[in-house]
Amino acid sequence: MTTPSQDQIKTLEQSRQRLAHLTRSLASLITSLNQSDPLPTWSSLQSQATIISRNLGSVSEHLSENHELLTSLVAFPGPEYPGRTQANILEQLLRTKLDPRVDDWVARGRKAGTSALEDRGSLSERDLADLWDWAPVAANEDARRRNWGGNFTLEERESGIQNVVTGLKRQLEDDDDDDEDEDEEDDDQGEEDEMEIVGARKSGTGPGLEFDIAAVASQDQTPVAPVVPLGEILRYMTTGAPPGQR
Amino acid sequence: MHELLLFASVPTHQHHELLRQLAGLTAMQPHHRVERRLVFKAYRKPGVITTRVGASQDVQGADMQRLNKMLNGGMFYTQVVGPVSELAFGAKPSSSRNPDALMSGMGELPPSNENADNSYAYENQPWKLEFRDIPEAGTRSAVTSRLMASSTLPKGDIIESMNAWGYSFVTEYVVEGDIFIHNDIVIFLHRVLHYPTEGQEPNEPRRILPPFETMTPLERTGSYVLQAAITVQDGGNQEMMKTASQHLFGLREQLKSAVRLEQADRLSLDTRAK
Repeated sequence: MTTPSQDQIKTLEQSRQRLAHLTRSLASLITSLNQSDPLPTWSSLQSQATIISRNLGSVSEHLSENHELLTSLVAFPGPEYPGRTQANILEQLLRTKLDPRVDDWVARGRKAGTSALEDRGSLSERDLADLWDWAPVAANEDARRRNWGGNFTLEERESGIQNVVTGLKRQLEDDDDDDEDEDEEDDDQGEEDEMEIVGARKSGTGPGLEFDIAAVASQDQTPVAPVVPLGEILRYMTTGAPPGQR
Repeated sequence: MHELLLFASVPTHQHHELLRQLAGLTAMQPHHRVERRLVFKAYRKPGVITTRVGASQDVQGADMQRLNKMLNGGMFYTQVVGPVSELAFGAKPSSSRNPDALMSGMGELPPSNENADNSYAYENQPWKLEFRDIPEAGTRSAVTSRLMASSTLPKGDIIESMNAWGYSFVTEYVVEGDIFIHNDIVIFLHRVLHYPTEGQEPNEPRRILPPFETMTPLERTGSYVLQAAITVQDGGNQEMMKTASQHLFGLREQLKSAVRLEQADRLSLDTRAK
């Protein structure tokens, strides 16, 4: 039995600090959830969650790095320890088994961890990434092949719409018949209600996707920033001086 | 009277949406308005200026000095505004020709009967003279505030009267837009339209209006100007002015997510004629 070296004490001190950080960030999340009204914005929740997960990460990294030391350390009271007055802390320190509550948490965590590991058997990380890479482009290409705007596809219409299994209780209307009604109802809203079909393809220059949003939107109304600044317009309105001259 | 103003620039694609938002906010339908605006500029009548700088022999009396100052001091641009109906545009009989109106020359106009059968009768066009001072300088508050005065003018041809008062015609344009009233705030979402240019700019107001479709917006992208204005009868009453600006700020807050209402650049509203 030896007294811990300077380095070992430093390691312990570090674990204490990291744990303190973690508890502090957890406590701040709890208070903000409990006290702030209305609830904190999602962005602040998210940033708090990020902080907590970073703290957790650093704690777990630290613990696993110093696994050997921490498992071999044993606490025992020195002769000068005030055992009578500080009995509670002494018990806490000498306890070797986890608190039953904590034991439950640990069991739950382990179970969740193993089940998460099992799930991954089907697709590897790499396959998943590939899938995500491929899916948006493919879905988009497929979507662009069709002319959107009706309740039924051409194939469905050709084979008779009454045979289509929609799974809906209400009757879907075939809009070829009632185009005019709709136009009257919302002739200026109609275009906005439709989903925009945005083209996407692999960007030629780098990773990521390129979207053809601008091209599609231009049919209707392109967001154009005014060319003539407000001041020039007002100047023209007051003095008749054409914009661009002073 | 004083006028407190806030302005914002509204891109075309936002115009329709903003109209709806304003209709919702003010709980009223937009009131469409088309105005002809004639810009006049004061000029010095020859012979009036007798300021002798440094002349020592005839010391002017105080009255004379004051009169001179009044005559020569402030030279301002001023506007003559006439509401028109959109139907008046292009309401033009085949007989009357634009060139006639263009050629009829400076100021003096013969009483014309050429457009008697026109549904737009220039003779019956009501006019209003609107004087606006340059916005007050150095005000701490973030609204544009300026002295204003309006008065009704005789109908029809106003060139003669304006010339007699020492104003010359500069240009004219059309303002098209929608008006909303929100408590004491008049909200005017408008844009400036140019007449189609056919050769030379005429130097008098048009007697015939071209078809509305041929009017081109001053701002090529067709953007609009949002103007929120409160008129205060007694500009000297600080309390009233403060309340009015508070109301404007309230509106600015309400519209914050849609447009950014701001004070206009003071010099862009400079009506002084140099």
